[in-house]
Amino acid sequence: MLVSLNEIKKLVEIPAGVSTDELVKLIGSRLVEVEGTIDLSKKYKGIKIVEVVSAEDIPETHLHLCKINAGTGSEIQVVCGAPNVRTGMLAVWLAPGCVVPQTFGGENFELSVRKLRGYESNGMLAGLDELDLGDDHSGIVEIDPKFAKAGDDFAEKFELKDTILDIENKSLTHRPDTFGLIGFAREVAGILGVKFEEPVEKFGDLEITTTLSPDTLSEYVSDAEKVWVEVEDKNLCPRYTAGVFEVSNTGLESALEGNKYLTLNDVFLAKAGMKKISKIVDATNITMLMTGQPLHAFDYDKFVKVGAKTSSTSQGATGGADEPKIVVRVAKKGEKLTLLDGKEVELVEGNDIVICSNETPVALAGAMGGESTEIDEDTKKVILESATFSLYNERKMQMAHGIFSEAITRFTKGQPMAGTVPALARCASMLLDSPKKIIDFEVSETYNDNDVFVELSLSDINNLLGTKYTISEVKETLENVGFRVETSDDEDLRVKVPEWRTDISIREDVIEEVGRLRGYDNIPLDLPLRPFIGAEKNPMFELKREMRSILSDRIGANEVLTYSFVSKDLQEKVGEDFSDSYEIVNSISPELQCFRQSILPSLIDKMYDNIRALHKDFILYEFNQVTSKKLGLTDEKVPEIENHVALISTGDFYEAKRTLVELGRRLHVEFVLGENNAAEFPYFEKVRSAKVMLDGETVGVVGEIKGRVLRNFKLKNASGFELNLDKIVKMPRKITADLKLSKFPFVERDLTLKVSSEANYEEIKEAVINGLSGISELVYKVNPVSIYQGEDKMTKNISFHVSFASEVKTLESNEISDIMKNIEEKISEVKAEVI
Amino acid sequence: MEIEKLKEELKALNKEYAKIKTIPVEERKAFGEEMNKKKQAILDKIKVAEEAAEDAKVEPLDITAPFSVNGEVKEFRKGSKHPLMTELDRVVDIYQAMGFNVMEPRQLDDEFHMFDSLNFSKGHPARDGYDTFRTAENFIPIAHTSAMQNRALTTYKDRLEKGGQIAVVIPGRVFRNEDVDPTHEHTFYQCEGVYVAEEATMGQLLGIFKNFFETYYGQSLKIKTQPGYFPFTEPSFELLVEKPKSLGGKGDGWLELLGCGMIHPNVLKAAGIDPEKYKGFAWGGGIDRLVMMKYMLNDVRYFESGKLDFLEEF
Repeated sequence: MLVSLNEIKKLVEIPAGVSTDELVKLIGSRLVEVEGTIDLSKKYKGIKIVEVVSAEDIPETHLHLCKINAGTGSEIQVVCGAPNVRTGMLAVWLAPGCVVPQTFGGENFELSVRKLRGYESNGMLAGLDELDLGDDHSGIVEIDPKFAKAGDDFAEKFELKDTILDIENKSLTHRPDTFGLIGFAREVAGILGVKFEEPVEKFGDLEITTTLSPDTLSEYVSDAEKVWVEVEDKNLCPRYTAGVFEVSNTGLESALEGNKYLTLNDVFLAKAGMKKISKIVDATNITMLMTGQPLHAFDYDKFVKVGAKTSSTSQGATGGADEPKIVVRVAKKGEKLTLLDGKEVELVEGNDIVICSNETPVALAGAMGGESTEIDEDTKKVILESATFSLYNERKMQMAHGIFSEAITRFTKGQPMAGTVPALARCASMLLDSPKKIIDFEVSETYNDNDVFVELSLSDINNLLGTKYTISEVKETLENVGFRVETSDDEDLRVKVPEWRTDISIREDVIEEVGRLRGYDNIPLDLPLRPFIGAEKNPMFELKREMRSILSDRIGANEVLTYSFVSKDLQEKVGEDFSDSYEIVNSISPELQCFRQSILPSLIDKMYDNIRALHKDFILYEFNQVTSKKLGLTDEKVPEIENHVALISTGDFYEAKRTLVELGRRLHVEFVLGENNAAEFPYFEKVRSAKVMLDGETVGVVGEIKGRVLRNFKLKNASGFELNLDKIVKMPRKITADLKLSKFPFVERDLTLKVSSEANYEEIKEAVINGLSGISELVYKVNPVSIYQGEDKMTKNISFHVSFASEVKTLESNEISDIMKNIEEKISEVKAEVI
Repeated sequence: MEIEKLKEELKALNKEYAKIKTIPVEERKAFGEEMNKKKQAILDKIKVAEEAAEDAKVEPLDITAPFSVNGEVKEFRKGSKHPLMTELDRVVDIYQAMGFNVMEPRQLDDEFHMFDSLNFSKGHPARDGYDTFRTAENFIPIAHTSAMQNRALTTYKDRLEKGGQIAVVIPGRVFRNEDVDPTHEHTFYQCEGVYVAEEATMGQLLGIFKNFFETYYGQSLKIKTQPGYFPFTEPSFELLVEKPKSLGGKGDGWLELLGCGMIHPNVLKAAGIDPEKYKGFAWGGGIDRLVMMKYMLNDVRYFESGKLDFLEEF
């Protein structure tokens, strides 16, 4: 939303000494996020209103050679291509040195003296588009000679010495009242600590206030005709008001006369980012920009005609076939409507709110009018609508039909019903000289249902904010912006919420107003006091932190993060069943369609790119959450989630195993491997992978990735593991150290054992250890040196490095050979032979 | 050469020293001391010369080369932690030192935790701002860490009854249905904070932030606010922090870092906490931006790229 500071200043007196910069800062800190400001005086600098003294055609071109008077008396030559340039008119001149406003802030195109078809041109005469005040490029802008004279400063005359605030709409989602200049100005007053004087507009004898009631307006209008209004459901449309009048040109302000001259109203609309359309439509738009209440005008005659066609069955006191009747209802099945932009839309049954003439939809309420009742040059009589609609329905309509107009932007914030009547009267006052000219005024609901009182105490305010405001400070702050505050003592307040503040209903809402308007930045800083107890460590968070240190700092692996969403294709490639995945119904792309069941597929997917970037030997890992429909739901009826760690390396099974064992060693948990019979993680090669167990419970799988999976990712080999951290985090850590220390010398022996090729390494090693473990007061280490297999593959040789020492004395040679014999005995039991 | 000369000198000195026997007894002490002094001086010179000679023999190397001539290529594996995780740890550490417990959010949650329990009325326009993904079963990959607020409140509610406080931070991954570009990601990280006690004020909330960011950036910093709107806090606002020196701040720029406010009574009620008796505040901020500013990264997409060339830098 664009807000003109000049317009705000017309409504609020800014205290002397508050600069524009300070004002913008205050607005930014106490009302709304200001995304940026545009200084129009720079944009329109040096632009002059000039008189075209002469305009002659340049032969064989569409150009005209003009002499202009810029108020200095001397004539200046300008070449102009516009068809409407003519002697005597007032135009807008961009002199050499001026920046074309359309390009301001972008390419900043600066005009100069240059030759066109051999004729020297000093700058240019500007069209509406070049002035960045509209799209029109059909000719140059013409100025009413009654309004200005040659030599006048264009910016001065057209109120363009102004600063425009670019407001982030999202930060005002809850404040429909600030979507009009009056409401915005009220807030500015509040921020400045000034009482806001509600504007009063004269309309004949009627004074239009911001709280003009339907009953009051009714007293002033004539009741010559009757249009019936029927609202099907008050929840859809809390209040519908309509005024009927003939549009008369008498008594109009010159600014609204026709489209010939550029007017202040055109500039007003342009500054808000809107375009001039026609006299009546412009009046509705200007009213909306002022009050925040959107309006819509129907061509009365067209409206009646459209309704009459189908309403033969409708009779009686609620309006007969020939009497106009406005019906507000939800769309029915199969209904269609052609909108103002010429597009035919299919209405959403049960949600779209439509305005009907009798039975025929003629407008998509709040969003866009229909083509069949459009205002045009021949319109003689209008029905002016000012209504509020359910913001929830409007929101869905906005999405369903992709309409993002200024009007619907406001309706989706939930416009207060109290604003409808003043807006209707204001708009009519721009088109008529007296409310008597309104020949019918209808209102569907006269009762204001938002008379809200909030009771609270001064300590409620100060205790929540941490302030020491007095009751008079609070009262003044609230009353500046239209709250009425009753106080019976120095503690209790009864606050009447203004009609336009639909967002306020509880104590905290009022406290926010006090804190915000007086400035949160003025609240003294404090810190909570609490008992001197340590914060709890989160075991899962800490486990991940610990594992991250081991994997990255010790093993040299790289932590990655990959998306939680994967494609069906990826799941298929690794052999996961995507029907077990929770599917995202509104995903951005098929790549991100399923919530992943495990992390490894995402890591496998990241390998190829890294290999192509010439990384040959690496380990990637990730911690994250996974889920699958197979896990079921929790007691809270939300999907059961598992915390996993996954790791992938460019090495073989033993690379992954080595990493896993080291991880276990540093964590002081013992991972035990067993035959991989796990149903999870289908992408592991069954006979080259193992189930990982902790204390008898399966926590994951380690091993090589299946050859056919690797092929899908253009990989040659990969191995890794995926573990369930929820199980690991619960495991007790075995932190008793098994120290192998002796002050007596160690004896070292290499031992090579020939075993059958099926023999299991662990079994052989156990046998060696058994040969040592039975001897008292002996400490020992058994480490593998090599596993060798010859060409015949009948047997394999396993070599160990064995070292041992007595804890109590130096071993003698006979004792050493006894020990070696003992080992040989034990290994012969497992059919191993020392060589 | 010099050493030999010195050694000659030493020999000559030793010869002269032998004369001590011919000197009268009463002069011998002075003579001996004099001789020893000279001898020591020569020995010192010899030591210096010998060391210089040894030093001269040491073969110099090319300090700019990565390994020795004819040597083996040796490299450490360039292990790394993900910068977002490192930053989350840092952020959490500061809050833990302040006394906050840590809870991680669940990444797939329901309408109740994402919206209803946070005072978003059904169909409220504020829900639009969150651009949520949904599953066919209407579960929601959470769009803010606030989705965990209700659980944080109910989990630690008993502390209030014992006269204590609820103080929890919630670091985690969140998801928004947004097209990805250099400044937008559909997947990113946030850290949420929740504090509830019998006495909790906006002044305390502001005090905590000032303290947090001063610790985080290691310098004193100004803070300021800007109004905001979140259905789950009332009053709500956004917090801005003076751009710190480490990010090139000169005391004039501001960083918009957090959304926050006093917890809405309906949020407390939804967790079974009496809003008449207890008050609280909550806040949430993005982690990705902190990291991007810190390392001057210009593309948020690096984070989830899995590219080692990026990761190894951390």
